[in-house]
Amino acid sequence: MPRIFALQVLFAAVTGLIGAALLHLVIVLLLPDFSERDAYTRVLAEGESHRFYRLGEKPDRAGLSKNDPFVDTAVCAFDVSEGPLRLTAPNGGVPFWSLAVYDQSSNEVFSINDRTSAGGVLDVVIATPVQLTSLRQAQPPALSQSILVETTQAEGYVVLRSLVPQPSFADIASQFLSQATCTPFEWRSRSRF
Amino acid sequence: MLTLRHSYPEGQSKPVFRVPFLIAIALAIAFGGGIWSTLVALDATIGFGAIRLGAWEAFPEAQTAKADPYAKSHRANAGKLLYASAEGLVFTAAVDETGARLTGNCSYRLTGHTPPARFWTLFAAAPGAAPPSAQSDLPRALNSRMVLRDGDGGFDIVMSATAKPGNWLAVPEAGPFRLTLTLFDTPTAGSSGLIDLSMPRIERTGCGNA
Repeated sequence: MPRIFALQVLFAAVTGLIGAALLHLVIVLLLPDFSERDAYTRVLAEGESHRFYRLGEKPDRAGLSKNDPFVDTAVCAFDVSEGPLRLTAPNGGVPFWSLAVYDQSSNEVFSINDRTSAGGVLDVVIATPVQLTSLRQAQPPALSQSILVETTQAEGYVVLRSLVPQPSFADIASQFLSQATCTPFEWRSRSRF
Repeated sequence: MLTLRHSYPEGQSKPVFRVPFLIAIALAIAFGGGIWSTLVALDATIGFGAIRLGAWEAFPEAQTAKADPYAKSHRANAGKLLYASAEGLVFTAAVDETGARLTGNCSYRLTGHTPPARFWTLFAAAPGAAPPSAQSDLPRALNSRMVLRDGDGGFDIVMSATAKPGNWLAVPEAGPFRLTLTLFDTPTAGSSGLIDLSMPRIERTGCGNA
């Protein structure tokens, strides 16, 4: 009798281990869909969409903070289902800036830095494939210098970083981030029906 | 009832309690083990696909759609703003060149070159702690513009909790710490591993007051 019982306990333990392995896989695969601590949820918690929020050294109430003491960071949540989004910022002498566009699953859609942009100025338009097609047909003169970025996911967020290698650059970097805009692009296609 | 009682000797449980007991064991192992192993796995690593160079490791694809499920799960749980490929690449080190854990009780030397990058920053922080403030009184973070270099462009940084001459990086006073070296605008981020990358070496120079 004790031997049978020991075998039964062993069987239960093996069943438990298989269950643990399955549960491990289920949690790992489903966590990205259900997480309430992911970067997109935190950026949304900063406040209303379509404006940049500066991040501090201490985590704010949304839980976001600067990753690096020498890098000033701003974030902006967007939704391009209604119309394209335009990101602009004049460059007043920042030694380095970079922009990353992520979708709602925090997958990188597009990234750029001051050397890969046109003339060191930030001018990026984010649009869905359909909006981009009509944008290309209309070719509005205001967008002649813009970099057009196609995103298949309508929702996402943007991270804009500006380098502060020495404290004397803090004002320039701060000005760059505060002058950056993240607004829906006011534009109507004439061929709209 | 009588027959049942007779078939089992004194002191042994009836089979009635045995089945719930076995199910409880299986469920406890399944839920406990599943949740514990997931927490450990997400805490221990950022995922697969690391570039390892000496003591340093980096995850150039952690922020992309090509990241493995562990990397995606880790970044969803950590909620950090990752660097995209045109921005930079983050290398971290928790051990020195011999594989011993970095600790604030010891002093280290960081010598050599970084892979090509327009700019880099270096700081030390306890595991899980926030990065140091740029307004700190001690040099808790260094960058490529403030580091003194030798004739070849290489650098020699002393990492210690107490002040040292030359390039000094102040590290947390006691307990383990992690080094974070961020390369900005670097071709390393898009590297397929074909470029010969050289990372600075981390060597321990002494412990205690030595």
